[in-house]
Amino acid sequence: MNTLTRVLIVDDHPSFRATARALLQAEGFEVIGEAENGVSALKQARELHPDVVLLDVQLPDFDGFEVATRLTSQNGAQPAVVLTSSRDGSDFGPLVAQSGARGFIAKGELSGAALKAVLG
Amino acid sequence: MLRARWAILLTAVAFTAIALALVFTSDHESTPAFTAAANLIVAWSFIACGVVALARVSDAHFGLLMSAVGLTWFLSALTESNNSYVFSVGNLLWGIPLAFFIHALLTFPRGYLETKIVFAVVAAAYGLLSLAPLLFSLFGEAGCSDCPQNEFVLVDSNLATTIVGVLFIGVGLFVCGATIWVLIRRWRVASAPLRRILTPVFVTSATAIGAFLLAAFVSAVSETASSVLWWLVLFAVASVPTAFLVGLLRTRLARASVASLVLELGVARDPESTRDALRKALGDPSLNLAYWLSDRSRWVGVSGWEVDLEAASQGRRTTLVEHDGEVVAAFIHDPSVDRELAGAVSAAASLALAREQSIQVVRQSESRYRALLNAIPDLMFRMSRDGTYLDFKGDRDDLAVPPEELIGSNARDILPVDVAEGLLEGIAHALDTGEVATGEYELTLNNVRRTFEARIVRDGDEAVLIVRDISERKRQEDELRGSRVRLLRAGDEARRRLERNLHDGAQQRLVSLSLALRLAHARLRDAPEEAERLLAGASEELAQALEELRELARGIHPAVLSERGLSAALEALAGRAPVPVGVTVPPDRFPPAVEAAAYYVISEALANVAKYAEASAVEIRVTRQNGRAVVEVADDGVGGADPTRGSGLSGLVDRVEALDGVLKVESAPGAGTRIRAEIPCE
Repeated sequence: MNTLTRVLIVDDHPSFRATARALLQAEGFEVIGEAENGVSALKQARELHPDVVLLDVQLPDFDGFEVATRLTSQNGAQPAVVLTSSRDGSDFGPLVAQSGARGFIAKGELSGAALKAVLG
Repeated sequence: MLRARWAILLTAVAFTAIALALVFTSDHESTPAFTAAANLIVAWSFIACGVVALARVSDAHFGLLMSAVGLTWFLSALTESNNSYVFSVGNLLWGIPLAFFIHALLTFPRGYLETKIVFAVVAAAYGLLSLAPLLFSLFGEAGCSDCPQNEFVLVDSNLATTIVGVLFIGVGLFVCGATIWVLIRRWRVASAPLRRILTPVFVTSATAIGAFLLAAFVSAVSETASSVLWWLVLFAVASVPTAFLVGLLRTRLARASVASLVLELGVARDPESTRDALRKALGDPSLNLAYWLSDRSRWVGVSGWEVDLEAASQGRRTTLVEHDGEVVAAFIHDPSVDRELAGAVSAAASLALAREQSIQVVRQSESRYRALLNAIPDLMFRMSRDGTYLDFKGDRDDLAVPPEELIGSNARDILPVDVAEGLLEGIAHALDTGEVATGEYELTLNNVRRTFEARIVRDGDEAVLIVRDISERKRQEDELRGSRVRLLRAGDEARRRLERNLHDGAQQRLVSLSLALRLAHARLRDAPEEAERLLAGASEELAQALEELRELARGIHPAVLSERGLSAALEALAGRAPVPVGVTVPPDRFPPAVEAAAYYVISEALANVAKYAEASAVEIRVTRQNGRAVVEVADDGVGGADPTRGSGLSGLVDRVEALDGVLKVESAPGAGTRIRAEIPCE
């Protein structure tokens, strides 16, 4: 994993998307796209082939875990999905692991280092 | 009293002998036999009447006075004496029997002088009839030429005699007039039975007094005519005791009718017949009958209603009826009814009245239990073990079949199978164990589903079912349960909304703020301008987060409401509303729960105005009326709000009803919306 890691940010809150983009870009990630709902996220993932999808658990259309399952079970190259939420990860119990996501980062703790730590 | 009667009789015999001796030896009596016979008839009439009256306690005083009239009547025989002194004394005493006569008359039938006026009349009679003979004796000789000399004459003056005569007639007119007035007045106020006693005595007395006055007048004109009239007076006076004895005889005859009363009471079938028989026996159509209910310590009349015996006895006389030493009844009758007759009737009627009393006791008891049963709104059925309806009490609308079809039918033929089986099980349980069996069942009556609660008790070999319609209670319970569920759901929904709002609002902004601060911190040295831009953005984000938190806090519970009251809270609410809002609120505080309910009613109403009403103005009015807070919110919008749709208004209904209040929504299309809530303040 290097500074060219390409990231797709999926979140329905524009202010979070903007801040996360700035934060990750500042720490060497390449943000290749933003999606505000599940449908858009799946579509952009197919088109942009991101390395990482930073995926909000709560989306206006789909459940974030459902989107994660779909992303990690599609044919071809599968992005690493990192779930995020303003809630604590323990609120979701085993759902994160069951969804096929690589890990979970609380939104308040998001940073390049944290993302790298999850991605291994 | 027996001695007195014998004394009177012996005195009268002695007086008779003396009187006869005086009359038949008199040298100035032209018709001794006639005079003796006439006066003896009069004297002995009164004596006989007096002795008979003395035998009755109630008439003893009257009897004494009548005897006094008879005995003093013999004094007139003194004027037959040839001795001038005896003759002169006789002339002084002729008025005494007449005074006694008026006295006796005015005491009849009570035995005493009732008023001061009557007493004055009697006193005047005594005065007149004592003084007049004295004055006549002082100023004139005796009226006959053969009579002995008047030993008491002072001055033989025709003028003085005439003056005394005029005065005698004047005062005599007054006394006689007053006496007749008293008699007439007494007769007019008398009851029917009393009139029967008074009439013969008063008629003969009035005749005697009238004849006396006429004779007194005529004596001034014609000696011969007056002497005839005096004889008339004599016989009229003698008829008075005869009239009294006739009345007494009638009473005795009435007493004889007691035997026939017993026969009549024997066939009397109801209290009314018994009372009528007693009325007939006592000759008192005003008689009333009361039975003593010892278990309830009260009197009841023939109709079964309670009687206040003390009040009913005012101005009347009560005769108690006893049987086996116990008071069983009383009859309230006219006081003129003969006491002995009343006593005889009481004794004769005791058995029949004791029987009637027992019936009254049962009637009272039955009436009491019937009243109790009628006061119970439940249906009642009497049923046999096999489920046959034997009897029922209740509203026919509560029955599954018409009443005429119910009796004799079986529950299995009328009720749904499951209900009938349940009922029969309950009956069997109650009959076998003696315990009360209870259960609920539902029936559709007149197309309405109704719920009944049955209690089954044993009554001998039969069961009594007490069935209560609990449909309304069930409906209220369901409504209450629904209201509780809605309140719980509303609470859950409110918490979910709050969590979502926190998550979507303030929490997101704080997350972004955190990230921005971290980014700004990282860029502070390398790109201070970008760090400054990030910090400015963070500051703005923080301000918005604070505002959203405030809004959320207001949604949970507005602090201004608890701290400053409804008035301040509504002013703040009105200030944030998108349309002009007029607020009228009393300055004093309501209980916290009432203020909170009122606040949320108005808050929800204003939110609806903002969302749907298209109103240009809203008027809020809170008043205190009869211990209730009345909240009204009216807008001039499009109307058409439906409280049964959506959770907002129905949640308010539940909230208000939880405080025993009511909430009504008037929202005809095109006519604005008016929400009115009334919430008890206690």
